Amino acid sequence: MEKKKNAAGGSPLARVFKSQEGIAFAATIILFVFFIVASKSFRRYTTIVTLCNYMYYILLMAIGVTFPLITAGVDLSLGTGVVCYSIIGSFIINQMGMPVGVGMLVTILMGVLFGVINGVIIATLELPPFITTLCTMMIVRGLGSILTGGLSGVWPMEGSKGGWCRNILKVKANGKIIPIGIIWMIIILVIMSVILRKTKVGRYIIALGSNKEALRLSGVNVVKWTIVAYSICGLFTGLAAIAYACTFSNITPGTGAGLELDAIGGAIIGGTSMTGGVGSIAGTFLGVLIISLLKTGLPYVGLQANWQQIITGIVLIAAVTIDVLQHRKKTT
Amino acid sequence: MGEIILTMKDIDKTFPGVHALDHVSLDVKKGEVLALMGENGAGKSTLMKVLTGIYKKDSGTITYEGREIEFKNPHEAQEAGIVIVHQELNMIGHLTVAQNIFIGREPLNGGLIDDAKMNRDAKKLFEKLKIEIDPTEKMNLLTVGKQQMCEIAKAISRNAKLIIFDEPSAALTDAEIEQLFTIIRDLREQQLGIIYISHRMDEIKKITDRVTVMRDGCNVGTLITKDCTKDDIINMMIGHVIYAAPKTESHVKPGTPVVLKAEHINAGRMVRDVSFELHKGEILGFSGLMGAGRTETARAIFGADARESGDIYINGEKVKITRPEEAVSAGLSYLSEDRKQFGLALKKSIVENSTLTCLPKFCRRQFIDKKKEKEVTQKYVDMLQLKTPGVDQLVINLSGGNQQKVVIGKWLIGDADILIFDEPTRGIDVGAKEEIYELMNRLADEGKSIIMISSELAEILRMSDRIIVMCEGKITGELDIAEATQAKIMNLATMRN
Amino acid sequence: MKKFKNLKFVRAIGFNRVVLICVIFLLYLLFAVLTPVLHGGASFVKVERIFSAMNYAYFLGFLALGVTFVISTGGIDFSIGPVMFASALISGYCLTQYHAPLWLCLIISLIVGSLFGLLNGYFVAYRFLPSFVTSLASIEIAKGIGSVFTKTQSVTWPTAGSENSWYKNLVRAGNVPTGLILLIIAAVICGIVLNKTKAGRYMLCIGSNKEAVRLSGVNTKKWEMIAYVICGLLAGCAAIFYVGAYTTVQPGLGDNFNNDAIAACVMGGTSMAGGVASILGTVIGTMIMSLMQEGILAMGFTISYQYVISGIIVLIAVTADTLSRKRKV
Repeated sequence: MEKKKNAAGGSPLARVFKSQEGIAFAATIILFVFFIVASKSFRRYTTIVTLCNYMYYILLMAIGVTFPLITAGVDLSLGTGVVCYSIIGSFIINQMGMPVGVGMLVTILMGVLFGVINGVIIATLELPPFITTLCTMMIVRGLGSILTGGLSGVWPMEGSKGGWCRNILKVKANGKIIPIGIIWMIIILVIMSVILRKTKVGRYIIALGSNKEALRLSGVNVVKWTIVAYSICGLFTGLAAIAYACTFSNITPGTGAGLELDAIGGAIIGGTSMTGGVGSIAGTFLGVLIISLLKTGLPYVGLQANWQQIITGIVLIAAVTIDVLQHRKKTT
Repeated sequence: MGEIILTMKDIDKTFPGVHALDHVSLDVKKGEVLALMGENGAGKSTLMKVLTGIYKKDSGTITYEGREIEFKNPHEAQEAGIVIVHQELNMIGHLTVAQNIFIGREPLNGGLIDDAKMNRDAKKLFEKLKIEIDPTEKMNLLTVGKQQMCEIAKAISRNAKLIIFDEPSAALTDAEIEQLFTIIRDLREQQLGIIYISHRMDEIKKITDRVTVMRDGCNVGTLITKDCTKDDIINMMIGHVIYAAPKTESHVKPGTPVVLKAEHINAGRMVRDVSFELHKGEILGFSGLMGAGRTETARAIFGADARESGDIYINGEKVKITRPEEAVSAGLSYLSEDRKQFGLALKKSIVENSTLTCLPKFCRRQFIDKKKEKEVTQKYVDMLQLKTPGVDQLVINLSGGNQQKVVIGKWLIGDADILIFDEPTRGIDVGAKEEIYELMNRLADEGKSIIMISSELAEILRMSDRIIVMCEGKITGELDIAEATQAKIMNLATMRN
Repeated sequence: MKKFKNLKFVRAIGFNRVVLICVIFLLYLLFAVLTPVLHGGASFVKVERIFSAMNYAYFLGFLALGVTFVISTGGIDFSIGPVMFASALISGYCLTQYHAPLWLCLIISLIVGSLFGLLNGYFVAYRFLPSFVTSLASIEIAKGIGSVFTKTQSVTWPTAGSENSWYKNLVRAGNVPTGLILLIIAAVICGIVLNKTKAGRYMLCIGSNKEAVRLSGVNTKKWEMIAYVICGLLAGCAAIFYVGAYTTVQPGLGDNFNNDAIAACVMGGTSMAGGVASILGTVIGTMIMSLMQEGILAMGFTISYQYVISGIIVLIAVTADTLSRKRKV
């Protein structure tokens, strides 16, 4: 092994900007300025609302998937999960007549359940994470429709009974929509950041992704913490499902595959590496912000919706290519 | 030095095909540094793995602090106070120094991890050990030397009473080694027991109290360091090995052309300014201890790993080799030392593996002539006396020795002119070894040129026309077979500059 | 049982595969019996059922054949569904809007598929991206390109009986299941490529131990990429059989077939870890998945049941493969 460079070069400010998070931050500013300059309609207030609508559920998914990514794994069932869990929640509310709160609880529990299933299979049977979560994704997709009879999902609209759920994320005042969901997001971001950096949960999950064997030899139960990482992801998928349901009116069954790309791409752009051991909530937030800016901003400069899909794919490939270049050991 | 802290008595351990530990006994006193020495494969690592619970012993007893113990895993050993500081450090690179030291037993403050306390405690620890390391630094940014200090600090903080150092100085600078010794002397004063595994004579002399030498799975004896010489130790390490028909003189006539010339090859820490020549029909032995850089040199020449600088000439012409593909077209072949990882596609058959190096030769257009494949493979299977029900047998079902023969056969079928064999007889029984030696001699007579990397001195002395010895990435000496002796080779293999 | 296993024809086909063939017959029986019971009066034992199942099997079969190559190198490609749709959309658009000749459009379909395969293969082999990441990205890019090209319109290929509809004969000409014949021919070709050519040999060995093959002097990057190109090419083929059966293509879809194709492969004995692949197994697996879908729909259940079952099948197959590998090593 050769001598490693000391990264304590320069002032703290310089260190921030050399890091992945620093680059992401700079990119965000650049993008923001670009859109403001390039499109007049972008500068309207409604843009912020649109941006928030999009970001709520993607950010929640991204926060969740950060944990499996840090363990050098992944969860592909996010997008499908968001759609299906919210449809099941809708079924509970509409067809079974339960209060919205119960619907929310069931949605979250479904997420946790499949998160635990993913974690158990990956940790004990040692199947590759991508094929495991690919399968649970199919199972969830099917289960969602079977349990609800193939109905679309509609959570209570504003003004109706249970419509308060819509007001968690936005409130109407003076004819304008105020995205108070931002406050919830900030609270969640702070809590999860603390959990990742300052609790045993976060500490062991990072250690797991960095050197699973060393952690095991130190007497820590790596199976348990792997399951925890995927359970957290499942929990946040459930939360994202609620955010999704409370933002949009109609939820079509069988959709959702592809949403996770933005979440996973966002996390990777923000500095979480697929090789494991590295990741931050702040970085994930920035990465998701970049992707959301791209997605909401591009239509303003004339790019129609389907180009967004292409761009998302390209951004993901670019982000992972850079990630691989940085973290992969070199051979010929 | 005080009372005995550890006694291992009559430890015996057998793996399929090899008697790794043959009724080995060893004892360590409190406040002493015991050196554990021996050639590659002598059993040092195995003995320590049995002690710390990585392997289960077949028989024998281990008494530690007066109690008989048997650890089921390294964590149990750690809890009891026995810690190994490995050559490959077990550190969690993405966490800080303090976080690594206290992993698994983090102090909490209101439910959250108290990083500040961990940093303070780590700082106190480092002060006591007189090491200067910032506990808030990320582990993978530290030099290897500093990482090792952290592992030692971690061991101390877990109240280690017996610390085993496995080749600790391999990656350290001279200054760091001095620091390490200061710490070890401190630990000795605190009445810890220390086992120091190393091949570096000068260090053994400096820091250890007694030396236990192992050879072929046996404890050959224990000397008191200050009363013995380097030669005494070397003699115990090599013993008196009897081998059939050693080479007495080189078969290479003067004036024979040079087929391969390597000049100033540099590839990281393990290959430093390596230059040598290989003559036609010659068997050039590469000797040295583990970590000497022989495999890395071979891989760099073969294009398997990136080379920083250096030139390769084949038959006088400079060739560009940056990938194994180019090496093979230039007439080189490389039989790697780890056949399961690098030599064989385990799920495939003998035939499929054997023709990998030259598949186009068996193809008409794009189609494989399977009949020809089988015939040729069968020919080599017979020649190498490979025991198998048929050439369609999956390689994973073969014994280790037969697997090795498949790899050798693969390169022979490829018909390269320059063969680099890295530990060609590892894991092969005595009878099969003879066959391979005979084969190599025949190939050399036919005009093939061979580089043989081996850690078995007997083998080197028996087969080589010339011997190159490496130590820590550099060539330390070159011996013609007529003048070579085990002692001379060992001397060069342990010579650091 | 051991005697049965050692029978010559069982050894030739593989015990796995014989079991699967039995499963097909059992499934058929099951559906035949249950359909009238569960779906009041409907019958499963009709020729039209078989043809309907075959419509699904054709394009699924091509998808599964393609994926077999990728899985044999130890990778994965679950973007094949959307890639198939992109190929069908783009070539269909050329046909309906640019009035390109039909034969040219069929070739365009193959080219589009191959290009996606090239994209995947390049990033996996030369840039060391994990194959599931390139799959994810390809899914979105394929959906996006398909949509953009056709300006988010769906594309309707010429219907049966109209001018330029001879492509439908590739699927079924009168009562002759031409699709089946073409699928079998394709399977035979794939089998020959995988088992009897240099390319196939390299791909399988790369799947078993890429590093050992590299150190034997083989250009592993090239051959790994080629596996993905073949997969893309076959997805382009699949597109032809899809439109041959269903005529209309909508942009933005395709995810559902990925898992069925992968399920068909792993069920048939192809190992996700790479190195072991069976074309025959893939074909039989395709038949099972198609029959299953037909049966599930016939019995009155929704397609969602198929999703759940195929997810469970892949999990079981991969678990079995992983456990059996662990035992050996």
